[in-house]
Amino acid sequence: MSELPLQSTQPMLEAVNLTKRYEDGVLALDRVSFQVRAGEIFAMLGGNGAGKTTTINLFLNFIEPTEGEARINGIVTHLEPLKAKEQIAFVSENVMLYANFTAIQNLDFFARLGGQTHYTRDDYHNVLLRVGLAKEAHHKRLRGYSKGMRQKCGIAIAILKNAPAILLDEPTSGLDPKAGHDFIELLASLRAEGKAILMSTHDIFRAKEIADSVAIMNDGKIIMQRPAAALVDTDLEQLYMQYMAGRSSELVG
Amino acid sequence: MLSVLIQKELKAIILSPKFTATFIICSLLMLLSVYIGIQEYQNSVKQYDAGKQLIDEGIREATSWHSVRYRAYRAPDPMQIFVSGLNYDIGRWSAINSQSMVKLRNSSYTDDPIFAVFRFIDFTFIVLVVLSLFAIMFTYDAVNGEREDGTLKLVFANSVPRARYILAKCIGGWLGLVVPICLPILLSILLVQLFGIPLSADNWLRLATLIAAAIAFFTFFIILGVLISAMTKRSSVSFLLALVAWIVFVLIIPRAGVIVAGQILPVPSTAEVEGQVQSFSRDRWATFYTAQEERWRERSLHNNQSEGDLSAVEEEKLWKYMEEDDAARKAVQQEIDEFDRKLNDDLRHRRTAQERLAFSLSRISPASAFQLAAMDLAGSDIALKSRNEQAMDLYRTEYTQFVQAKQAESGPGGGAFTIQIDTEKGVSIGTPRDQAAVDATQLPVFVPPTFSFSDAAATFLLDLGLLLIFSIVAFGGAFAAFLRYDVR
Amino acid sequence: MLRILIEKEIREIIGSAKFAVIFGACAILILTSCYVGARTYQANRAQYEAAKAENLRQFEGMTDWFNIQQHRIFLPPQPLASLVNGVSNDIGRTTEVWGRGELSAQDSKFGDEPIYAVFRFLDLEFMFQVVLSLFAVLLGYDAISGEKERGTLKLSFANAVPRDKYILGKIIGSLTALTVPLVVALGIGSLLLPLLGVPLSGDDWLRLFLVILTGLLYFAAFLTLSIFVSARTERSSNSFLVLLVVWILCVLIVPRASVLLAGRAVNVPSVDEIAAQKARFQQQQWHEDRASWSNFKPTKSDDPNAMMDELNRYMEEQADIRDKKMQEFTARLNEQRYNKQVEQQNLAFSLARVSPAATLSLGVTSLAGTSITLKDHYNDEAKAYQSLYANFMKEKTGTNPGGRMFMFRAKIEDGEEVKPEPINPQELPEFEYHQPDLAQSISAAALDMGLLAFFNLLFFAGAFVSFLRYDVR
Ligand SMILES: Nc1ncnc2c1ncn2[C@@H]1O[C@H](COP(=O)(O)OP(=O)(O)OP(=O)(O)O)[C@@H](O)[C@H]1O
Ligand SMILES: [Mg+2]
Repeated sequence: MSELPLQSTQPMLEAVNLTKRYEDGVLALDRVSFQVRAGEIFAMLGGNGAGKTTTINLFLNFIEPTEGEARINGIVTHLEPLKAKEQIAFVSENVMLYANFTAIQNLDFFARLGGQTHYTRDDYHNVLLRVGLAKEAHHKRLRGYSKGMRQKCGIAIAILKNAPAILLDEPTSGLDPKAGHDFIELLASLRAEGKAILMSTHDIFRAKEIADSVAIMNDGKIIMQRPAAALVDTDLEQLYMQYMAGRSSELVG
Repeated sequence: MLSVLIQKELKAIILSPKFTATFIICSLLMLLSVYIGIQEYQNSVKQYDAGKQLIDEGIREATSWHSVRYRAYRAPDPMQIFVSGLNYDIGRWSAINSQSMVKLRNSSYTDDPIFAVFRFIDFTFIVLVVLSLFAIMFTYDAVNGEREDGTLKLVFANSVPRARYILAKCIGGWLGLVVPICLPILLSILLVQLFGIPLSADNWLRLATLIAAAIAFFTFFIILGVLISAMTKRSSVSFLLALVAWIVFVLIIPRAGVIVAGQILPVPSTAEVEGQVQSFSRDRWATFYTAQEERWRERSLHNNQSEGDLSAVEEEKLWKYMEEDDAARKAVQQEIDEFDRKLNDDLRHRRTAQERLAFSLSRISPASAFQLAAMDLAGSDIALKSRNEQAMDLYRTEYTQFVQAKQAESGPGGGAFTIQIDTEKGVSIGTPRDQAAVDATQLPVFVPPTFSFSDAAATFLLDLGLLLIFSIVAFGGAFAAFLRYDVR
Repeated sequence: MLRILIEKEIREIIGSAKFAVIFGACAILILTSCYVGARTYQANRAQYEAAKAENLRQFEGMTDWFNIQQHRIFLPPQPLASLVNGVSNDIGRTTEVWGRGELSAQDSKFGDEPIYAVFRFLDLEFMFQVVLSLFAVLLGYDAISGEKERGTLKLSFANAVPRDKYILGKIIGSLTALTVPLVVALGIGSLLLPLLGVPLSGDDWLRLFLVILTGLLYFAAFLTLSIFVSARTERSSNSFLVLLVVWILCVLIVPRASVLLAGRAVNVPSVDEIAAQKARFQQQQWHEDRASWSNFKPTKSDDPNAMMDELNRYMEEQADIRDKKMQEFTARLNEQRYNKQVEQQNLAFSLARVSPAATLSLGVTSLAGTSITLKDHYNDEAKAYQSLYANFMKEKTGTNPGGRMFMFRAKIEDGEEVKPEPINPQELPEFEYHQPDLAQSISAAALDMGLLAFFNLLFFAGAFVSFLRYDVR
């Protein structure tokens, strides 16, 4: 990829003092900063309502930041949303697609919407097989799909976009154990392609297994952020529990 | 347990955001329609009174019974506030005289087609179109909506019998929708009172039954929504089905029934029948005139005069001849009347047959049953025309007898004048005999046909029964469907 | 990009069960209404022909034109009127023509056969106004809010999709996906008309085309309105509720309410009042005239027939004078009422045009020649015929039948009756009804068509602007 040389100099995804206060006064995100470089996986952990989806929404410019900015490959998303979005793919929390379309039709639509018009039917089949969706399902309408099958379609759509950055909101929820495992491998291969991946997840073990960098969020703040290397010998679950219990200061010390 | 379920249903309806919006709209529409109804009724009363007054004035000014022009007016009924029915489509008055048959003319819509462009809205229309639509809007997802939310699974994770659940759905939905709707209904009745419209005991009875019919109709659509939602898995599908059902029941079947009946049993037009009567009458008059001509020729010969010269015949003899002619004229008139009546009776029979077929066909839909019930109750049904025409016809006989007696009293040819053509003296035109104002104190007055609850009861009960049957069938369907419903 | 969006929109709509059901229902209803229209036209035509034949038959065997005083003319059923009823069922169809005097049409279809008035008609206008608009709402209410609920909006906007392109694609896609099948159904329906025995002239075809065009504009207006509302609401159930209320207001309430309001605001004297005034005036004229009759002295006093003719001529002169005075008087009264009526109409219709449904109604009835002006137009046509009839009778008998005194006369020559030849009633001039000029109809409908186009633009702009600020999450 042409971006690869930039790897060390410019982060692909960057949050700078990202703050979001909703109209009803809830401070969902409080001066959050982090960077994700190409070929890197960044995992966000945190309780329900911690602000993970809010962060991702800010990168997608679904909402505008109250303060700070989210940058994609140096482009400030809320200033140049269209240019920024050319560089990202997204898998949402609860993948819902056009129920009347087949998987192939959905893929075709979203791929073309993302500017990838060169795909053939075989490409769609291949990518669906790659995410673990059995061939029989490819031409069925999504109406009859299970949650995990829809999730796989969502992931396939993200892969097809072939964007340098990928945003994943709880991508493994609803996947069966085998699919979850395959998905981790898929992520690894995407990383090998040089993608910058930002994912939110509740799955501590998978996060530890795959992420290059892990952050724990609570109440809109990142209360812990460490590179994977620094976690090799720690029990991440225990650490998480301790942080959530509010004993973060003593641990850091 | 049933009460717990019903309470939940009630809460779900009343607390839903759409409830307030719909309730307010229904109330406003209902009050608006009744307000409009009151205004139109008051207008009709004014027009009716003015019409009668004009007739009275005309009679007072008349100098001879020959120049009296009488019209019988159709009386307005306060029930038209709630059910305008055919009131504005049917003629408001008919001329009453010996020469022409009774025929209602000048309907409000013909006089002022502007009102025909968009028609009126009345209480019945609001119930028929708006309430039914809202009923299914609230119940189309009664069952499958809960399935989609996942709450159905939760409910049946408890030991709840299915029968009880669906019963609670219907009862809860009914209470939650019917009870609130009673408020604007009561308010509109209050409005009628505020405007000081006099309502007789019979009116009250008819109004109460009308409201009962409205509620029965509303109930059907509430249960229909539940039925459809218990037959489908997804609320988007049931929504669509419910709307299509609504369109078919409310908009299509009633109209289609009439059209189909019109195709099966065609009826000749009034113009055609009148044409037949006219040609018959012209035939008869032609023979009458030839006969009369013959008579005059004979009379003049009889008086030993040359043809066409009657100057020597004394005045009184002349009047006697005219009397004879008059009697002959009346005989012809009667013959024509009979012919006309025969044709009209025939027409009426064919029409009744057509109507009966049309209404039986359209009663497949509860909407027609309700509308027919409402019109029957208000007396603005299809019989409104014949009822009035028959009463006017009876009155016409009475009136013509009276007037003819009066005319005879004042001597033949009262108000008429003689024209004599004389070879020597030329033409001389006589003046009418009497010039004094007529005494109309004994003139029978047209009393519009009264219409009361008992007249409507027969057909009304049929329709109310039909509405109840429809509701029960729908409930049975919902029950059966739900027993086999897949709650996952 | 736009093409992809439009393509997807079309494919999604056409593939949905909702579309299949609705379109099926639409197609059936449109074809039914065309069929019903054709049958109604034929039934009306048969009634009309029978009445006309009966009218002529009554003169058969007559030997003297002199014995005909009045006869009747009928408003012929118009092919388009059976598709767009307008007021054609409410106004009188039969007019008695006497040769002079005021004309008043009697026997409206609904008055004659109230059975049709009970539930009203199922015509193409009703189809457009009520059913198609409801379907437009059904098809469009979740255009935006539904995609949001399904999460696809988020997914689409995770791509570099400009919002304006998206909403444009949405509107264009929905419009094409929905109007094309409709046009096909309507086209088939119209082509069926000649097969079902409804003769359509080139003029009629143009009118029908414009009626359908107006209907489609109306449908599009409701569709863009639905998209507009759905772009203003978060949840599709809310947008449906809002649209339902708007639909009820537009289709059922505003048109009626505005007419009633106008009825309140402008007071039109009732027909009865005016009729009474006219009757009184006529009576007075009659009295005055009668006094003057004794002045009549025949010039030739030897031949009774000549005297009779002279008297008739005299009477006719008198009648002419009376008629003129009466005409002046009634013209004044009628004009007063007419002006008031026009004022009322203008007010009512301007108010009603706030609603696209009223605009549609007014537009298509103008095009089909069944708008409120039909009553006056028919009256004008009948008047024109009346003078034709009067001239014809003058030619035949020397006098205008409207002012004559005598029903019979005998031709007697030397005491010997002459067997006269029967007349041929077919000679009577035929009443030919001319529809209002095409150009006139179009110019009357142009305002409404323009207004519908404006509604389209307005809702389109509304949808556009709303969507630019729509929360896609
Ligand atoms: N539209 C909104 N308006 C107001 N507050 C909101 C809105 N969306 C989210 N919030 C609030 O912002 C906070 C963060 O929410 P967010 O959805 O980002 O959490 P999350 O980390 O994704 O949680 P989960 O793990 O449950 O998905 C919560 O307190 C939530 O209540
Ligand atoms: Mg979340």
